[in-house]
Parts: sequence; structure tokens; C-alpha cells
Amino acid sequence: MRLEKCWFCSSTVYPGHGIQFVRNDAKIFRFCRSKCHKNFKMKRNPRKVKWTKAYRRLHGKDMTQDSTFEFERKRNRPERYDRNVAEKTLIAIKKIDKIRVAREARHHKMRMKGKQAIERQAALTELEKSIDLVKAPASLLQESQITPKIKVKVADTQPQVEHMEE
Amino acid sequence: MSTLPVKQNSKPFLSPLHSAAALVPRLSSPLFVARTLKVLAASDHGYYVFESELADVIPVVKTSIAGTRIVGRLCAGNKNGLLLPHTTTDQELQHLRNSLPDHVVVQRIDERLSALGNCISCNDHVALTHPDLDRETEELIADVLGVEVFRQTIAGNIVVGSYCAFSNRGGLVHPHTSVEDLDELSTLLQVPLVAGTVNRGSEVIAAGMTVNDWTAFCGSDTTATELSVIESVFKLREAQPSSIVDEMRKSLIDTYV
Repeated sequence: MRLEKCWFCSSTVYPGHGIQFVRNDAKIFRFCRSKCHKNFKMKRNPRKVKWTKAYRRLHGKDMTQDSTFEFERKRNRPERYDRNVAEKTLIAIKKIDKIRVAREARHHKMRMKGKQAIERQAALTELEKSIDLVKAPASLLQESQITPKIKVKVADTQPQVEHMEE
Repeated sequence: MSTLPVKQNSKPFLSPLHSAAALVPRLSSPLFVARTLKVLAASDHGYYVFESELADVIPVVKTSIAGTRIVGRLCAGNKNGLLLPHTTTDQELQHLRNSLPDHVVVQRIDERLSALGNCISCNDHVALTHPDLDRETEELIADVLGVEVFRQTIAGNIVVGSYCAFSNRGGLVHPHTSVEDLDELSTLLQVPLVAGTVNRGSEVIAAGMTVNDWTAFCGSDTTATELSVIESVFKLREAQPSSIVDEMRKSLIDTYV
């Protein structure tokens, strides 16, 4: 049993799911669900279809080169089974997954950095330009004519203590 | 019958293809511990023949390749390595790697022509391959098996692995191979070759017999004439299994688990 990748969207195909198509040149295409299979039959290029991993990688939305990807390569030359190595590998798999997820999150954060500043700036310019959608020009004029209240600081005077006249 | 180095499979209901097509001979130099891959299915009677003959001499490994029992036609190997098709599952690959000694390189190949036993015919020094094999596969063969690779056809057939069987001592090829072709192949492979048949006139040699340096197994339909031809070309007549084994035992490097 082997968990394969869908040719179209690159998600994992679990046993019992999907369709495998073998072309006449003996190339095997695996699809996770009929959505991907139908897109393939329509001859769509996954690199142009927005929701696929191929598109996301190509357009820099997802992490492309990372050392954690090297661990998942398919190997054609096996090594003799060693129990200790197998045990360590299982632990390593969990750790590598965690690291990969953390790196992907960081990549996403870096990608989204500066978004808030841009949004705020865009909001401000919009506010200035299209304020007439919200407030009538007459009220704007009134607002500008009203002198703003001036605050004056008063010197602190000691309250006169009234002595009771005896 | 048990003293003959060439065993005829005594079960009458085994078809010629069935008997030896499932096996692959493991090498041949006396320093190497020869292994024979066997068919996994318990219902296969051929397995017991091999085990009874070879079990005390070399380790016999039961396996399947790509979930099938036709191991001999799918893989190609010699004393240096074993090549497997891309359809081999990871578990089978690991099983083979664990069962074979460390100096035998087990390699899975990504190749369009996945029946490697039908495409590659090899001994310890030379390999004949299907002319349409990829360049990377050819390099891998040269690397893993440690052989010189020749793209050849035999009697006009491109599927060389099935139409010839050769070991380090000799070789048997398709009966319709012309004399010039035979000479050419003989010089390429550096072994004496004979054009003959197996299993009562079957041209598909490798499907009817399996051979290494000191023994050969043929299908039950093989006639006495064919057997004598096989014995003479592979030089099996003088070789008695017991004497060879005694010689080999001192130099066997494997550890029996």
C-alpha cells in the first residue's frame, strides 16, 4: 500500500479512492477524485488552475524549495531493515512534519506582511475621495465653519476659607 | 533422476511456461551465495521442487513482484545486483533487500518496458538488452549489474530476455538464429552458444528453463535430446551438485539467519 499523489491537484490519494489512468506510453496518472479526473480529460493544465498545488507553487503562494521536501522523495534503492533506524525514522517523521508546517506558516506570514498597512492607506484615501457618499456636502461645509472649542487652563486659586464670625 | 544436474520437473500437469517462467537464477560464481527467487503462491508445485533440490545449497526466497507470481520474467539479476520494475511495491522491495546479501544491489527502475526478465538477459559479465530500452536504464544496468550492455536482437526478436538463456559457461538461443548471428553473439558474450529448443520444441527458451553455473531446471515437456543439448552447452554434465557445494561451502560468505 502506498499513498500516492494526485497528478492534478497533488493531494494524497488514500487506498480505495480515486482513479488510475494508464496511457499508451505506459505513463500512470493518478487522480484523487472525479473533479481532478474530469479536469484532466478536459486537457486542462494544472499549472493554470488556481486551486491546484502546481499553480500555487508556480505563483509563489506556497513554499517551493525547502529541505523538508527532500525527505519525502521516492527511493528506488532500499536499505536493509534496521529496527533502531525504523524507530528513529518514525520520530523524525513527526518532527519534520511539525517543522514543515511551521515553515509554511512563516512563508504565509511573510507573504501577507504589510497587508494591513496597505489596507489602512487604501481606506484613508477612499475616505477622503468618496466622503460625499456618507456625508452631505452641506453638513461638511457647516462642520468646517464651526470654530472649534478652545480649552483654557485656569490658574489654581485657593478657596477662601470662611471663618465663622464669632 | 536425483543425480542428474539437470532436473526435469516431474509434475506432469505443469505447463512449460508455468514451470520455469516464474524463476530467476541467481548467479553463478562460486564465491557468491546464489539465491533463487521463488513463486509466492503456495499452490504452485514448482516451488517445492526448487526447495527440495536447492534448499540445502542456497537460500530460497519466496516473494512476489508487483503482487504477481511471475517473478522470473519481471526481474533481472546476477551476482552484483537485482533490477526490479517500477510496479514493485515498497514492501516487496524491502523484503528482497532484507533477504539478499548486502553486496547485491537491489534497485527499482522506472522504465516503460517493465518486464525486465523479458527485456534483459545477463550473466556476470555481459548483458543483452531490448533495443528500445531507455538510455538511463541502460546506464543503470551497467552500474547495478556491473556488466557490459549490448542492445541486440535474437533471430529478429527484440525481446531478448525470453528467447535466450545464458550463464557464465554457455548459452542457449532461439532455434531460428542464423549461424552468422550465432557467431556474432558468441563473440559478444564470450561464451559458447547453441541454437536449440526447450519443452518439446518451444522457441521461448527462457520461459522453459532457468539456469546458473552449476544447475538448470527445465519444464517437464523437455525431451531427452533437448536435455542433453542443454547439459552439454552449459557444461553441467560433470558438475554434481554435491561436489560443487562442498567446494563452495568454504567460500560461502553468507550468514544463515
